[in-house]
Parts: sequence; C-alpha cells; structure tokens
Amino acid sequence: MSTRRVLYALGGTVAVLLVGAILHPGFASWSSLRVMLVVASFTGFVAAGQMLVVLVGGIDLSIPWVLNGAAIVLTTSSLGQTSRAPLAIVLALGVGALVGLGNGLGVAWLGVPAVVMTLGMNGVMQGLTLGLSKGLTCASCGSYAPEPLRGLFDGALPAQLFLWAGVGLFMTVLLTLTTFGRRVYAVGVNPRAAFLSGVGVRGVTVALYTLSGVFAALAGIALVAYGGQPSLGLGDPYLFESIAAVVVGGVSILGGRGHYLGVIAGSLTLVAVTTFLQAQRVPEYGRLMIYGLVILAILFAYGREKAHD
Amino acid sequence: MREALRRVSIGYLVLAATAVAYLVVYTSRLGRFPTSFDYLSILNTTLPLVFVAIGQSLVVLTGGIDLSVGGMVSVCVAVTATTVSSSVFWLVVVLALGTACGALNGLIVAYGRIAPILTTLATLSIFTGLALRVMPVPGGSIPQEVRLVLTNPATPTGLIWLGLAVVGWLVLRRTRFGMRVYAIGSDEASARAVGVPAAAVKLKVYALSGLCSALAAVFYVSTTTSGDANAGNPFILTSIASVVVGGVAFAGGRGSALGAVAGAVALTLVIDILFFSGIDPLYQSLFQGLFLVVAVLLGTVAALAARRRRQA
Repeated sequence: MSTRRVLYALGGTVAVLLVGAILHPGFASWSSLRVMLVVASFTGFVAAGQMLVVLVGGIDLSIPWVLNGAAIVLTTSSLGQTSRAPLAIVLALGVGALVGLGNGLGVAWLGVPAVVMTLGMNGVMQGLTLGLSKGLTCASCGSYAPEPLRGLFDGALPAQLFLWAGVGLFMTVLLTLTTFGRRVYAVGVNPRAAFLSGVGVRGVTVALYTLSGVFAALAGIALVAYGGQPSLGLGDPYLFESIAAVVVGGVSILGGRGHYLGVIAGSLTLVAVTTFLQAQRVPEYGRLMIYGLVILAILFAYGREKAHD
Repeated sequence: MREALRRVSIGYLVLAATAVAYLVVYTSRLGRFPTSFDYLSILNTTLPLVFVAIGQSLVVLTGGIDLSVGGMVSVCVAVTATTVSSSVFWLVVVLALGTACGALNGLIVAYGRIAPILTTLATLSIFTGLALRVMPVPGGSIPQEVRLVLTNPATPTGLIWLGLAVVGWLVLRRTRFGMRVYAIGSDEASARAVGVPAAAVKLKVYALSGLCSALAAVFYVSTTTSGDANAGNPFILTSIASVVVGGVAFAGGRGSALGAVAGAVALTLVIDILFFSGIDPLYQSLFQGLFLVVAVLLGTVAALAARRRRQA
C-alpha cells in the first residue's frame, strides 16, 4: 500500500516534469533540473524531520524558527572564518537537537498536544532569535557563512546533492532496516498496541522530535550557505511546504505509512511546479492558486481517507 | 458534561489571571487605572481574532482544524477594503464569499474525504492567491458610517457585536446542529451509527468558519481602516492558540466557543501586558509561546488533579 504511494509520488514528479518540458522547452534540461534539485533539497531536509514526526501521528510547527535560529547561530559563531566552521556547524545542529528534544519531552512526557507544543516552541524560538540578535542588528549578525560551506553549491554536480542523497540513505536505512524504524511504524499505526508489545513509545517520540529539530537546523545551515547571509523569516515558507512535501510524497498524515523516497519525489514535485510557473511568468497570485490546486489534485489522486461505510 | 464544564473554566481562569496581570502592570506602570479608552481599544483590536477563534473552535470541536482561515480573512479583507466604500451592500457579498470559501473546505473534507489539515493547507494557498488578485498592493478604505456602527472609537459598539456572537453560540450549541457537532467530535463512528449526517454537519461547520472569517475581516478593516492581502496570515496561528488556551480539546468533542473567545481576549491582553511592562517587543513571541504552553499545561495539571480527587 505505501509502496504504491511512493510510485504515485514518483509518477507525479515525472508527470510535472514532462508537462513542463513539453510546454517550456529546456525545462527538464540538466542545468534547469540541477537548480530545481538544489532548491528542492532544502524542502527535502525539513520534510525529512516533518515526515518522522508525522509517521507517529505528530506534527512539527516549530520548523520555521528552529531553521532561522540555527542559520543565525551558524554565521554569528563562525564569523565567516573557515577554522570556526566545524564548531559552528555542531553548535547550529545542537540548537536544533535541543529544541527538538524540548518538543519531544513536552509531547511525550507532559502530554501537550503536538500542535500546541511545537507552535509554542516556534514562538519561543522566534522571540529568542529576534531578541538575542536584536532584530539581526547585532555586531556579528552581518557575518557570512564560511567559505567551505558556500562551496556546497559549486560545480556541475553540487556537493549539496550528495548531502541530500546522504540524508535519503540515512532516512531509508533508519526506517526500513533498523529496529528503531520498525518501532516508529508500530507507534504510528497503533501507539497502544506498540506500548503493550514493549515499544518505548515515549523514547521513540522524543527521538523523532529531536531528529526533526536537527533536520530543520541542517536546512538552516544549507540555506545560509546557499544565500551567504541569514535573514529574518528565512524559515517561514518551510512550515507548510514541509507538510505539503510529506503528504505529496505519499506519507499518511494519520501516521504509520510512508517512505522517504516518496518525500524526495514530493519535494521535487512542489519545486518543479513553482519553477515552471515562474518560468511561464505567471504572476504571484496565479502561482499561489495553481500551487494550491495542484496539491488538491494530488490529494484527490492518492491522499483520500477510507470511506466510512 | 462535567468534563466540558471543567475545560471551559480553564479558559476563563486564564483570562481572569491575564486580566488581573494587565491591571497590575498597567496601574504600576502608569500610576492610574486603565481608562475607558484603553478598554475600548482592547475590545476593538480583539474582535477580529474573537470571530476567527469562534469559527476555528467549531471546526476543532468536530476534530478538524482550519488552516485556511488566514486565506479566507485575507480575501475578505481585500474585497471589503476595495468595494465597501462604493456601496455598503458589498458587506453582504463579503459574508457570502467567506461562507462559500468555507463551504468549499467543507465539501472537500466531508465528501472528498481529505484530511482537514491538508484540505485547508491547499485552500489557504488558493484563497491567499485570490486575495492578492483582488488587492495587489495594500490600501483601500472603509466608509466612516460603517466604522461608527462596527468599531466606534468613542462608544463601545463592539460590545453589541461581541454579545451577539456569544448569544449566537449559546443558541447554536442547544440546537440539534450544535449537539451533532459535539457528537461527531466525541466519536464520529458512533455518531454515524445513530444516524447523525456527519458529512452534512461538517460541511455546515466549515461554512460557518468561513462566515466567521468574513466577519473578522469586516471588523479588521473597520478597525485598521485599510486592507492588505496578507492581513489574514497571523490569524492562522493565533486562532489555534486561542482555541487551545480556551480549553477546547484538540481531539474534538470537548470545549466551547466561549472558551475560545476568552482565549482570544487573553492572548490580546498578553501583548498589552508585555508592552506595558516594558519588555523589548522583539521578545514578544517568546512570551506568547510560553503563555500558550503554560496555559495548556495548567489545563493538563488541573485534569490530573481532578482525576486523582475522583479516585481518592
């Protein structure tokens, strides 16, 4: 069932690329495809984290400001110097892990609904990011990302794509080949049954939210490496985009079903649609409306719930 | 039923606590009590959120969620700000438009069987696009007469509308429709089994949420005297926060729109408290986030305590 959905998701991507290539020659050329893949990789990173929590029936609304906070931590702690880059990367990922851990503890141990916990955490991170960076006017806030990071996007086959492939491999191995992965699906299908068969539901949940924070931070690092400098509101588009990518990728929003391969396809589909509409010079209002309609069409194709009768 | 009463009372407790905090902070900061002007400005700035929160709470009561309130408010704000100054008749069109947008959500959720969060995520994008089409740049206006009736800056006409909304809810929840909303939220399968037309009820609930968003948009334009195609965005998260602070259960079936109204007012008061206590506005969302989580934790703790007492 969920393998079929992965095929649907891949089919959707191919269909969008084909339609684009027919209507706009050069759309599916390697140079254009490379740009799309790079842009889709950012969505792919956040969607990896979002997918993990969605698999257990949760949701992570704290992604935007975890991403933004990590991006600013990276530049303010590295100050653009290559020698400081490793430490800065560890710090930025650590911030993501810490916030994710907080989300997980709140959801699993305090019993706060995921929507509330992560929404509140998003506010907390937004306030901390804005306050500590004084609205991004602090002395070190104008720093650039270290040079090696910016090299992620150079060349005919950018290193960023290998990084995304690595994330894909990690997600696939984690979810399909490890005991932990089996437990994730077990919790997603039926938390109570999983608990009764000895799965540490709380531990799994905390681990997944922590990973989601790490992936949001990773996306922040990649985005700041891509753009050079962080900005405020950098992560805002990725809140709904991550959910859309997960669902277009064939992951059930109710939890328990889905593969990261589908999410890769979903991320690429969304970016391809946006890129195509931009190439066609569709004005912003039209892009928004068509984007919504495409998501709806995909949902009607393979995102419907079972009939009640 | 007792459970429902308890959950609602959490919302009122939070509101009472924030109101006291507001009075204390205001008085100690300015050395005098808030004037009627202060109360009036709180009332007028809260009204849009109050309406969105009522709509959101209806949807949450059925176990759903409406992310598209942002888009519906935006598109209605755009239409209100561009048309109403030519003829007040357009207000009716705005309300019909909001209801139609909501009904579209309802159709897709109830008959298309697509999860509410996904449906409204997609329509959010569509409605926001529509708002941008109607109003590419911020601007527009609202006739002075409309302003005087809806959010009069001198007399509390807003109280009348707030009262009407409250009475409307009190009547609604006692109707057959209101009972069905709770029935679906508590256990949809059982509700269907006893003959509740779940799809039709959901359609109406989402349509009502759209109507509430349209009302919010009208009051928004009336308070701010202009429109913006992105005006609705902040309402997505604040309406969810209001519902949560107001003690409506996310699983559905428990809570009340009045709790959400209390939650909306409390959230607005928190911003004023932060302002008067001289906290750097950059930290504002930090405290709002903490407030949200703490309010929910209080509810959980109270529920645990109540259960312990019953067991003892």
